[in-house]
Amino acid sequence: MKPFAHTSAGSVEEAVQLLAKYEGKAKLNAGGTDLLGVLKDRVLPDYPEAIINIKTIPGLNTIEECEEGISIGALTTLVDIITSPLIEKYCPLLKEAAVTVAFPQIRNIATIGGNLCQDTRCWYYRYPDKIGGMIDCFRKGGKRCPAVSGENQYHALMGAKQCFAVCPSDTAIALTALGATFTAVGAESIRTLPVNEFYTPLGNVLTPGEMITAIYIPKPSPVAGQKFLKFTLRKPIDFAIVSVASIITLDQGICTGARIVLGAVAHTPVRVLKAEEFLKGKELSEEIVAEAAEFALAKAKPLSKNAYKLEIAKTLVKRAVRGDSS
Amino acid sequence: MTPTHEIPSHPTITFTVNGEACSFIMGDGSHELPPSYTLAQTLRERLGLTGTKISCDHGACGCCTVLMDGKAVLSCMLLTVECEGKEITTIEGLGNPVTGAIDPLQQAFIDNTAFQCGFCTPGIIMSAKALLNENPSPTVEDVKEALAGNFCRCISHYHVLDAVIATVKKGGE
Ligand SMILES: Cc1cc2nc3c(=O)[nH]c(=O)nc-3n(C[C@@H](O)[C@@H](O)[C@H](O)COP(=O)(O)OP(=O)(O)OC[C@H]3O[C@@H](n4cnc5c(N)ncnc54)[C@H](O)[C@@H]3O)c2cc1C
Ligand code: SF4
Ligand code: FES
Ligand code: FES
Repeated sequence: MKPFAHTSAGSVEEAVQLLAKYEGKAKLNAGGTDLLGVLKDRVLPDYPEAIINIKTIPGLNTIEECEEGISIGALTTLVDIITSPLIEKYCPLLKEAAVTVAFPQIRNIATIGGNLCQDTRCWYYRYPDKIGGMIDCFRKGGKRCPAVSGENQYHALMGAKQCFAVCPSDTAIALTALGATFTAVGAESIRTLPVNEFYTPLGNVLTPGEMITAIYIPKPSPVAGQKFLKFTLRKPIDFAIVSVASIITLDQGICTGARIVLGAVAHTPVRVLKAEEFLKGKELSEEIVAEAAEFALAKAKPLSKNAYKLEIAKTLVKRAVRGDSS
Repeated sequence: MTPTHEIPSHPTITFTVNGEACSFIMGDGSHELPPSYTLAQTLRERLGLTGTKISCDHGACGCCTVLMDGKAVLSCMLLTVECEGKEITTIEGLGNPVTGAIDPLQQAFIDNTAFQCGFCTPGIIMSAKALLNENPSPTVEDVKEALAGNFCRCISHYHVLDAVIATVKKGGE
């Protein structure tokens, strides 16, 4: 990797002061499982002057019950989420999503904050500089998107205008279904926002001076059935082609509440309100579930090579709503 | 696991590798260790521990797996400078340091011809070791899950499963 200055932060204050000092030219490093790949391949026009290690900040790696429900420190590792009795009890959906991320060596070190903030996996964006040169595009401040007329089989199905890259984070899909919020702290700011407002068409809402410190999940209804399903090719190393998170409440066979979120179909997790509304008050027969899946994908506009994702998404929605295990 | 004290940035960093303390002065000078060095680079280039392999260098193959405080991690995705105070174990650290005898897990790989070119083997053995340390009697499914991130170009996976299960059975005798 190209050289950089390095500091380990001892507190959130120190980390955000360092970010402010470097005026956008520093990057935070949590687990490093995403950042190091980006740095090694020199995929971005700007290379950071400094890396700030945040693993040394105490107190940001706990999972606790709190007023809002469950709080998860941003530095909590995915393995700690998977093995947490609290997560298992209240939000098994998040556990199911975290288990599908990569493989043990990565989950041992990858953090939930890093999982939310990870950079896109669009293969044009990630193209290594040393093999023929970095590829410029909208997301890097350029003027075009080579994916639109190129190899777009893993790209967005809906909601895209300039950049067609999809949200790579599996936990974001689960957290959106759970109605989670996150707290972002800057040198002179602190704000809490819903996870489903985190991603923007070309990145996320964090300013270069902010870091995520915690995630809050309201306790879901204990009778609601939670499900996370993900379709991918090589499970340990590939990202979702499509994923679905659902929370369905049934009262004597009638659906009284539904939350359905699609993953890897847009730059952000997509809550499909129409399908949710449609299910409410109905018995979940095959026909009704199939119709809900059509509603869920009604806004999809496939690109030249990704129409196949549409059928996978519909199938996953049906399975998730029915509560199938895969 | 909440750290109990603040760890300031170190011009010098110290951690242990296979039980021995290692210190490096961080910096870009000729005898210093650049902060951009990964743990895999440091192990191989500075400590001569070439048993740890670098293959993809992108966190996708498992060849560089070592133990950090007992857990399997990818040394190509860790900055050395962030290993302050950690206990690292590499393939060279398995076995009995007094007698020089190899670890039963290593012996099982030999007995079951669980490798061909052997490039993936140190990483696979370290992943399996982390599993056995945590769970001495894993099922075949547990072993598959623990090794899901270790890729073998030579398709030795089936023999690897045999070797790990053979070790489990022997341990239980
Ligand atoms: C082979 C492989 C397979 C993978 N498969 C999956 C998968 O299936 N699903 C999936 O979701 N991910 C996958 N990943 C991505 C994996 O890197 C993330 O899941 C991981 O959680 C990132 O966490 P980290 O702590 O390592 O992030 P880091 O690499 O440390 O950080 C990632 C980015 O987030 C920023 N950041 C980190 N923490 C904070 C914070 N608290 N506040 C603000 N910014 C922050 C960093 O500056 C950096 O830009 C895979 C990665 C690899 C290498
Ligand atoms: S999809 Fe987005 S990230 Fe990928 S090439 Fe197009 S603009 Fe760049
Ligand atoms: S070399 Fe580290 S995972 Fe491939
Ligand atoms: S034995 Fe050759 S890569 Fe596994």
